[in-house]
Amino acid sequence: MSARRSFRRWITARKIVQITVLLLVIVLLIMTRRGGWPPEIVNLIMRLDPLAVLAQALSARSFLLGSTVVLLTVLLTVVAGRAWCGWLCPLGTVLDLTPLRKHTLRDKQPNIPNSWRSIKYGLLIGILVAALLGNLTLLVFDPLTIFIRTFTTALWPAADQIVTSIEMALYSVPFLSDPISSIDAWLRPAILPSQPEYYREAWLFGVVFVGVIALNLLAPRFWCRYLCPLGGLLGWISRGALLRREVSEECKGCTLCTTVCPTGTIDATKRYASDPAECTMCLECLDVCPRSTIEFQPRLKLASRQAYDPSRRQFLGAAALAIGGVALFRADAVRQRSDDYLIRPPGVIESAMLDKCIRCGECMRSCPTHGLQPAFNQAGLEGLWTPLLIPRLGYCAYSCNSCGDVCPVQAIPPLTLEAKRAQVIGKAYIDQNRCIAWADHQDCIVCEEMCPLPDKAIYLERREFAKQDGSIVTVQVPQIDRDKCIGCGICEFKCPVNGSAAIRVSVPGAATAF
Amino acid sequence: MTTPINRRRFLRGAAAGLGAVTLNQFLTACGASETHTPPTTSAVQSTQPTSIPPTVAAPTTASGAADTPAPAQPTSTPMGSPDLVVARSGEPEAMVRRAVAALGGMERFVPRDASVIIKPNICVAYHTYEYAATTNPWVVGALVKLCLEAGARSVRVMDYPFGGSAEEAYEVSGIAEQVKAAGGEMAVMSRLKFVPTDIPEAKSLRQSAVYDDALKADVVIDVPIAKDHSLARLTLGMKNLMGLIWDRQAIHGDMGQRLADLTGLVRPKLTVIDAVRMLMANGPTGGDLNDVKQMNTIVASPDIVAADSYAATLFGLQPEDLAYIQAGAQRGLGRSDLKNLRIEEIDVGA
Repeated sequence: MSARRSFRRWITARKIVQITVLLLVIVLLIMTRRGGWPPEIVNLIMRLDPLAVLAQALSARSFLLGSTVVLLTVLLTVVAGRAWCGWLCPLGTVLDLTPLRKHTLRDKQPNIPNSWRSIKYGLLIGILVAALLGNLTLLVFDPLTIFIRTFTTALWPAADQIVTSIEMALYSVPFLSDPISSIDAWLRPAILPSQPEYYREAWLFGVVFVGVIALNLLAPRFWCRYLCPLGGLLGWISRGALLRREVSEECKGCTLCTTVCPTGTIDATKRYASDPAECTMCLECLDVCPRSTIEFQPRLKLASRQAYDPSRRQFLGAAALAIGGVALFRADAVRQRSDDYLIRPPGVIESAMLDKCIRCGECMRSCPTHGLQPAFNQAGLEGLWTPLLIPRLGYCAYSCNSCGDVCPVQAIPPLTLEAKRAQVIGKAYIDQNRCIAWADHQDCIVCEEMCPLPDKAIYLERREFAKQDGSIVTVQVPQIDRDKCIGCGICEFKCPVNGSAAIRVSVPGAATAF
Repeated sequence: MTTPINRRRFLRGAAAGLGAVTLNQFLTACGASETHTPPTTSAVQSTQPTSIPPTVAAPTTASGAADTPAPAQPTSTPMGSPDLVVARSGEPEAMVRRAVAALGGMERFVPRDASVIIKPNICVAYHTYEYAATTNPWVVGALVKLCLEAGARSVRVMDYPFGGSAEEAYEVSGIAEQVKAAGGEMAVMSRLKFVPTDIPEAKSLRQSAVYDDALKADVVIDVPIAKDHSLARLTLGMKNLMGLIWDRQAIHGDMGQRLADLTGLVRPKLTVIDAVRMLMANGPTGGDLNDVKQMNTIVASPDIVAADSYAATLFGLQPEDLAYIQAGAQRGLGRSDLKNLRIEEIDVGA
């Protein structure tokens, strides 16, 4: 009995670690904002992800020194198998906290064929093969990128909306306005943003996240069992892991452990053995076993092959699919003619963006104006959820170089503020048919006023316009010196015209395709 | 023991929620009429410590400040003090101190225990103060010290930059450092407190979301930097108040009149124009030292229109050249007839 109590402590310890890590990740993401913590600390999360680091290294054909911390995760896996999944992964913890299936000890494992487990290996092979070809699109399925992207684009903006409406309502109550004001001063900009954050397709990211959680309805940790490509990679490493779950001879086959296992890997037909590649070291079986027949012992041996481990045929199939997919991406028309408004963060080279960006979204989180948004198809489907600047939603601040600093893989190069200010990310042009000065013949000058360049790229010219009745009006109209413009987009952001701006930033330079 | 939610429990919960919402709506409605209507000329509401009658005469009585005798009654022109002071060729702090002293001392504007808001121009987070896009940090610091020496309860300094974040702009401009050293507080303006406010007697800007704290504070001190602006021609005291409203784009049409309307609402007790370094071109953002002219001048006046009028002459312009000065004078917010004003010029360097 005393032994069992100590296992309970291990499980409690695991839960504490899980919650702590989840909160820590959230704190790091909050502090990823400009003015928060140093970039090399906040982007540590992604640098600990072996899948992102490996795929990025294959794809970019280079390994960043900063990514060596990933060896910690590899080491952990070599020693303790998929403990990452059971103890650390923030998405895994979220899935543990949302047990949509009511689970009792009498419940059997859900009736899902074991062969589904090979989906995650297929995804993993696809990611790695595509990475060899210089494509990282499938990293959108990495659990950490899912978590960070969802937090940035959906969870935090939505949480801010809720807090703001509560604050607004309470602030208008006379005797509450002072305390609310102090709370607000404490909250912003330290924790919540000073201005609401908006992301395009924010709902989509929310829906994907809810979808991953909703799979818990089919089976606990459905995502981790069948789909997670990082789980697949860690599973492969775990086949040689040191710590092994062993069941002793005293086991009477009560089946309690099979029902309690969150990944359903304990097989009653194989003397209650489990697959080290599936076991997340959660220790629930240890605790539930009435006869204490389960042990986790150091063993030096390779795990036996499972039926769902990818066969050569499956491997070649996944590789072929990846090659075909990448070829299709490359045949996309955007490869011939770029989108007019594909404004990349400062210093980015388009081809390097595609083979380096791991889709984590840290740059969007750090962008103080939230102008950096996940691309949908502006760079083709290949560039799905890579960052692009949408100046109408937020400009590239003249005082900021956060995105390059925070990018864990230098897909956005780290630049000094001085160097970043010299980067031309786009060029502004005026839509004279909609401009308040040009079309409505009224003074406006906002774009000129906002232009941050010491020698402004937007200048004003006095123009006379003849009205229909023959009278003449003189108006200051904006003109652009395209040689000076760096495309920061503050003019587009601040343009007072409703809807899309009368001054817009489009891609710089002459077309390179011919 | 968890009981499943039955209809009764659901309805009870829903009713409670609905009640709470209704109660809140009710309280909101009560609050709205009291908090967000600015003082009118006739009815001075007791809940409004900031009620400033349009004629500059009456002393403001903050509920807390009423029982302590104010050292000097803030009248428009106390015996012997000038309408406007120009201090020249000294260190920024020395010029501010001499100018305010010549106006009758900060006690004239800041009653004991008053809450003070100082509004410098911190429009962008791009450059240090040398580039003259933001108010000189030592000028702001000197005003903080003077307010605290006069016995102010709190001195908060704030602006809402249009380029870069407030936190960053406060640091980059150097203002945060000087304000903290002087014992003041840098406040980041919260979106929450831009409350839709009716502007009485307005001709053009009848309603705007104005920063609540500025309306509630006992004293607002306006401390702009004198600089170039393509539409207003110059950014001075009245233009600087634009930082207190949410929708600045709305002011760009009919700017002169709208700035006068806004000034009529905010009514700074004291305007100190920083012309230590003036931005002569490429304003309001700046960034080129060749556009900066070292002027070593401070213009101070309780009359914002007079201060702006005088500062215009530093650029070789006349008060009539600036639409907002004209609109302000016409609205009776102050005087732009410089030759009739009592102007005291102090050479601090001498």
